[in-house]
Amino acid sequence: MRCGAPAGGGRVARTLGAVIAAAGLAVASLGGGAAAQTPRDRLVFALSGGPDTLDPQATSATLAFQVNKSLYDTLVEPDDEGKIVPGLAESWSVSADGLVWTFRLRSGVRFHHGKVLDAGDVKATLERILDPATRSPKRGDFGAIKTIEVVDPLTVRMTLSERFAPFLATLAHGWGAILPADLIARRHEFATRPVGTGPFVLAEWQRDSFVRLTRFEGYFIRGQPRLREVMIRFVPESAVKIAGLFSGEFDVVDMIHPLDLVRVRANPNVDVRPMVTSLVNVVAINNSRGALRDVRVRRALWHAIDRKLVLKTAYGDESIPTNVFMDVLSPYFVDIPDPYPYDPERARRLLAEAGHAAGLSLDLALPQPYTSHVEAGQIVQAMLGKVGISARPRVVEWGFWLSRVFRGGEYDLTVIGHTGKLDPDGRLAGFGDPAANYVKYENQKVADLILAGRLIADPALRKRIYAEALRMMTADASMVILGTPVLYMASQKAVRDFRQVYAIDTYDFRRTMR
Amino acid sequence: MPFVARRLFAVVPTVLVVATITFLALQVIPGDIAVVMLGTDAPREDLARLRQEFGLDRPLAIRYLGWLSNLARGDLGTSVAYREPAGRLVAARLPVTISVAFAAMLVAVTVAVPLGVVAARHPWSPTDLGVLAGSQLGLAVPTFWLGILLLLWLAAATPIFPLQGYVGLTRDPLQWARHLVLPAVALGVERAAALARLVRASFLDELGRDYVRTARGKGLGDSTVARRHVLRNALIPVLTVAGLQLGYLLGGTIVVEQVFGLPGLGRLLLQGIYARDLVVVQASVITIAIMFALLNLAVDLLYAAVDPRITYD
Repeated sequence: MRCGAPAGGGRVARTLGAVIAAAGLAVASLGGGAAAQTPRDRLVFALSGGPDTLDPQATSATLAFQVNKSLYDTLVEPDDEGKIVPGLAESWSVSADGLVWTFRLRSGVRFHHGKVLDAGDVKATLERILDPATRSPKRGDFGAIKTIEVVDPLTVRMTLSERFAPFLATLAHGWGAILPADLIARRHEFATRPVGTGPFVLAEWQRDSFVRLTRFEGYFIRGQPRLREVMIRFVPESAVKIAGLFSGEFDVVDMIHPLDLVRVRANPNVDVRPMVTSLVNVVAINNSRGALRDVRVRRALWHAIDRKLVLKTAYGDESIPTNVFMDVLSPYFVDIPDPYPYDPERARRLLAEAGHAAGLSLDLALPQPYTSHVEAGQIVQAMLGKVGISARPRVVEWGFWLSRVFRGGEYDLTVIGHTGKLDPDGRLAGFGDPAANYVKYENQKVADLILAGRLIADPALRKRIYAEALRMMTADASMVILGTPVLYMASQKAVRDFRQVYAIDTYDFRRTMR
Repeated sequence: MPFVARRLFAVVPTVLVVATITFLALQVIPGDIAVVMLGTDAPREDLARLRQEFGLDRPLAIRYLGWLSNLARGDLGTSVAYREPAGRLVAARLPVTISVAFAAMLVAVTVAVPLGVVAARHPWSPTDLGVLAGSQLGLAVPTFWLGILLLLWLAAATPIFPLQGYVGLTRDPLQWARHLVLPAVALGVERAAALARLVRASFLDELGRDYVRTARGKGLGDSTVARRHVLRNALIPVLTVAGLQLGYLLGGTIVVEQVFGLPGLGRLLLQGIYARDLVVVQASVITIAIMFALLNLAVDLLYAAVDPRITYD
């Protein structure tokens, strides 16, 4: 799960962020005008924060994968529609029982230090992830792997202990990056000296300031990358990002706040690129607490909240309201009519039926680093107030949210965004079993459907199974779904083929040109 | 024991107390490194395993003693979040923070001393009132606001100053200075405002003393008296305050670091707190505490240089 803004940055700095942005708005007209001196084969990208480590198996931070995408490759990767296509593996096959996966590697692929990629590298990489000493946050995702065999230098076979349909998608995520076996054996420090097969080589990394990447001349795709150098600057302040974009110092900037859009769009040299994310933003409901155990109360919450207004105000006008817990671009998305449309009167009636005619008091935990969620929470609070629900907002720090709200279940309501995964199982696993999901949603049929989806390989059948589970989750009002937010990037008009990879929220500079 | 050795010896318990408070504070705040590191996807078993691996399941006292014995051996530990030795992380940030803090103090002192003296020599004149009003404004303007203004007016609008980042002194002294000017001004203005008022007050105080009358009675001119006698004495309280201010600046220049994209100690410390990375937080705090203590010692030694009446055994 992740939210609409990246992790990282500081408490003081975060709270200052909004004020700084306002300061920027007030004086931005005074900025602009410095000539851009950047050569045409160099791209300067202002990213909201930096990676914690460049070891792809040691992190779960999106910001780390956004940099690592240029340094490493995976066996398979997602295309623009989220379909899995060949990466370092040129082909693969799976046994009829779904347990044995065989991958054929491309020949002649080189790592940055010159070694030629072979099946031994894949084996060593996966064993490294599975080794508890690596402390990989994503070890669990690879838990189904029983054995890894090197069949020949370019063929690797993996046997799973149980059927696991999301396996291919797992290998396509950033944490499936393939590392060289010789350096793994030497306990090389990938955290600061990354060596992969990726299109760029790390030239310099100044923590919390920038990463400078230079073209890997031996990259396995001919003619790529087109850029000679990519400079990724970590710029947390929105006002600074926009000032740099206007002055020509930055070619591309990420995460423009919806409030700044009018100003950015008015600049003739700049393109705004709305990107539909794979997030699903929700008002999560703790289904196990007090009045919220009653489905009538949860449905009253849907009726009480003008979901479209909340989504568009807090996350941008082009955000897409949805009624199920799946992002709109996913092939598993189902478009069902809104079962509980905005109707405060009906909300009041449902509350009265449930025995809360006199009103209800609820706690509303809001994660402090994510200002958009905090803003959404404030709007929700006002809407709930109109139907007699008094929601007490409590802005909490991220570590607190993770431990007390997410893990501890100490909340009634919270606003959060769920990151997309290439496979629907990544988003849905655990729902239906109250011990395994943070909204404590209980529905055995839903849990069974999700388990079936994980075991069945046939995509058409999986789609039907997940559609049924999603409908049931909405019918039970397990959480108030807001929808899929749009992320606004902006770039100089000259920048072409700048790509954000679907569902894994990373950037692909291989074909980018200025 | 000579003064300097005594003072250096006293640094040890100070650092120990500071580190212990930090250790306890990190135990009190909700959430631990395993929760933050694994995020939302990891199963509970992985969380439990990681907690066990980090020793978070052991009693507080045991963990504290273990940490203390490592510290005694000079081992600051390896950061779990960054996967790098904490000493190396701090060492990379220290030059940035020291550069910004000293540059800001240079700006502050260069502005404050002449302004304070000019104001004090003509009390309640339009110049004096101008200095007082200006310093009031300087105190009121928030550092981040000024930082943003400087960025938009000077960095984004002209090619003179860079918008973001830091270049090491040894790598390119000119670029180092270029990257420091705006952060130093943003940070130095508020310090200058406070110091100018202090210089003025201290100078006025000294002007009323007997030795000034005597000096003037000897036939010395006003500027000679001011320069050779009054200023030296007036600078002693200023030195104390400037030393303390520099200490605070070294403790973290988080706001300017954030605005100007400087990879300093303040941001490292804050990221460490967010990640619940005790190793990083402790290493940063201990470094700050040592610098603060050494700086205070340096200020004490400077007294003797400014005022020959002060000596240390």
